[in-house]
Amino acid sequence: MGRYLIPRLVESVVTFVLVTIVVFIGVRALPGDPARALAGEESDPQQLAAIRHSFGLDQPVPLQYLHYVGNALHGDLGRSSRTGLPVASSIGHALPVTLQLSVFAIAIATLIGVGAGVVAAVRRRGPAEWAANSVALLGLSVPSFWLGLMGVLVFAIAYPILPASGFVSVFANPVESFRHLLMPAIVLGSGLAAVVMRQTRSAMIEALGTDYVRTAKAKGLGGVQVVVGHALRNSLIVVTTIVGLQLGGLISGAVITEQIFVLPGFGKLIIDAVFTRDYPMIQGVVLVTATAYIGINLLVDLLYSVIDPRVRVGGAVL
Amino acid sequence: MRPSIPRPALRRPAVAVAVLSLALAACSSIDTPAGQSAATTAGNQTAKNGGTLVVALSDEPDALDPTTARTLVGRAVFTSICEKLYDINAKLDIIPQLAASMPETSADGKTVTIKLKTGVKFADGTAMDGAAVKTSLDRDLTLATSARKSDLASVQEVTVTDPGTVVLHLKSPFAPLVAQLADRAGMVMSPAALKSEGEDFGAKPVCVGPFKFQSRVAQDHIDVVKDPNYYDAANVKLDKVSYKIIADSTTRFNNLRSGDVQVLDAVAPTDVDSLQADSTLSLLTSDSLGYQGITVNIGNVNGVGKPAATLPAKLASTMATDPRVRQAFELSLDRDAINKVVFQGKFAPACGPISPDSPFSSDAAQVCTKHDPAAAKALLQQAGVQTPLRISMIVANTPDATRLGQAIQAQVKDGGFDLRLVPTEFASSLDQTDAGDYQMFQIGWSGRVDPDGNISNFVSSEGSQNNNGYSNSTVDTLIGQSQAKSDPAERAQLFGQVVTQLHKDLPIIYLYRLKNFTGVSKTVVGVQMYGDGLMRFAHAGFAG
Repeated sequence: MGRYLIPRLVESVVTFVLVTIVVFIGVRALPGDPARALAGEESDPQQLAAIRHSFGLDQPVPLQYLHYVGNALHGDLGRSSRTGLPVASSIGHALPVTLQLSVFAIAIATLIGVGAGVVAAVRRRGPAEWAANSVALLGLSVPSFWLGLMGVLVFAIAYPILPASGFVSVFANPVESFRHLLMPAIVLGSGLAAVVMRQTRSAMIEALGTDYVRTAKAKGLGGVQVVVGHALRNSLIVVTTIVGLQLGGLISGAVITEQIFVLPGFGKLIIDAVFTRDYPMIQGVVLVTATAYIGINLLVDLLYSVIDPRVRVGGAVL
Repeated sequence: MRPSIPRPALRRPAVAVAVLSLALAACSSIDTPAGQSAATTAGNQTAKNGGTLVVALSDEPDALDPTTARTLVGRAVFTSICEKLYDINAKLDIIPQLAASMPETSADGKTVTIKLKTGVKFADGTAMDGAAVKTSLDRDLTLATSARKSDLASVQEVTVTDPGTVVLHLKSPFAPLVAQLADRAGMVMSPAALKSEGEDFGAKPVCVGPFKFQSRVAQDHIDVVKDPNYYDAANVKLDKVSYKIIADSTTRFNNLRSGDVQVLDAVAPTDVDSLQADSTLSLLTSDSLGYQGITVNIGNVNGVGKPAATLPAKLASTMATDPRVRQAFELSLDRDAINKVVFQGKFAPACGPISPDSPFSSDAAQVCTKHDPAAAKALLQQAGVQTPLRISMIVANTPDATRLGQAIQAQVKDGGFDLRLVPTEFASSLDQTDAGDYQMFQIGWSGRVDPDGNISNFVSSEGSQNNNGYSNSTVDTLIGQSQAKSDPAERAQLFGQVVTQLHKDLPIIYLYRLKNFTGVSKTVVGVQMYGDGLMRFAHAGFAG
């Protein structure tokens, strides 16, 4: 297990360092000056120089980078050039929102996707498969902003049963949290559900045609045991990969959903940060997102070895 | 910044609207004549005590520090928590707020004495007095990142005669100063909080206001709660005002319709008809004191503040060198059609920098060039220009700004111009145009109560926002005179002369004036909105 994981850990650290450098240089390569963005309508050169100086933007970029990394290692991600609030605390507020939304969306997507995928594989060439395929096609085709707006118009305005916006933490009030997150999670999860359904169906069709499934059936195992215990378990490795990759994507990909439902998560944070050239905030958000991606990739690698022991290189024992 | 309509990142709407009634607002028309109330205070409805009002803002304010604040959306929040020495009323007159009376100005115009209200306390319970005013003004004048230095540039020194009296000693007479003190430069901050928070004051601002700052989460909300220390606390009804930041105009409007928010700032022109058709909502309107227009690069080669020069070959054009070409461009424009086609007729055509609602307006300030493409072509011929004249214009990369650009593009074609649009992200466009790397730029200005704020910085030779390299000694002289005079009628006449000269030279081609639309749920009464377009909740509450 160690021989399997240590190289991946090293890769992760190197990736992480490279990401910070790329982001640091990348945001500075954007056209537009953060001081000018902050000054808004006013373009007095002296004031712009004072703003640049106050954020250390008049120093050489390598020096700015070292300064940033030094502070980041002490847990100080700087202050937002827009709001003046500490970046770490803004991220601290936003991260749980996006995480709860993403987890909820993945739960819904997995539930629908795996269920529909299994049904489509088991009941092939029937109305069930046709229905599942249609739902998948819709999930992939309908843009989330349209789905979100329609959801608000129907369930918040025409039939006001769900709130149009806002966030309540699941730890503060689970019922209200569910009400606030249900629509955004369905909107965010719809595309993923379609992907999961297609992948599950393909993997299941392949698994159901294998020798071990035929053997299991021959041994007299029931249909459910064969489908769930044998075929589905082997199909899950594909689904896990998809879900794992998507979770990282969801953390930043929730941008549109968060805008529509006014959820104060990462998406809203980074959108405004980019428009206002809020370097500290962009860097902070990307740093945390990169960490999430890298961490989730590691976790997926680890799950592979749990689900399929053949993945463990050199037969290392967990 | 994602403006839903072409506008500067930060808007300052302005209006001549009195105290607004939500009971009658259903009948109010958005075509309310200038200077007339769009609605009045609720007749038989009184506000009950208590409740949380949720207000949707279109953008995230910057730090809530009156010294450094630059965003106009931030002013919406300051209205609740940071009162000023002076304010404005429904008629755009300046009135005392924390000051006890209007200032006394010496005969030479260089000494301004301000008497303060007595017994006023900051939200932290400390006394608001002359020393506190001096501390705030000194900070505005000296803090490195202060955005108020240009507002108070005329002030040499601030002295305190007694706890109730402050004296401003000026370098030279400067009539617009009182208007500046009716804005962020006039906000008084608690010296105790300034001492304890230092540069982080903006994260926990402490001033005088009907409400005091409670909490803020970036990109989500700013909460303010009723301040028991406020001198008029007995008449404040609401327990709390929660400002929610909702950038997308459709999402904002949907939240008003669903009842998740009760007050909606910056309703998109496209949503106005739907809002008026909704029996549960009222529409408040206000005319902006600012303008939207086209800035023409005449001589900015090396950046704002550098001497004007001849444009490099890639930007060189008779548009920069010959005023007749700019006049021809203006003659090609049909401002009414632009308003109808791009903004559903909801805004107002504008031909100059001064709002017709302004007490400083005059006939000369409102002169307008009529749409006449044939005259435009004749003028280009007279100037010896080969048509079509190719010229480029930077526009914001938003759908509405692009539509505006395309409407202009189609119109000026008839006048003999081949206009190429350069859609550019807003922050980048500011950078590019400050540097002088452009031919024309569609941009606006949010407006100031004193027209000096709409004119001098943009068109005087030394103007801190003169990014078109325009320099005219006649204009400079007239602006200087208008700043030194205190008589409004004299100043209005001088402003008119400035506008007349600007119409000849056209460094800026004025296009239209925004209207600010605010949506309010009919469950709320007593929201006030005056000429600065800011919503005031000191006497607002839920209908009893």
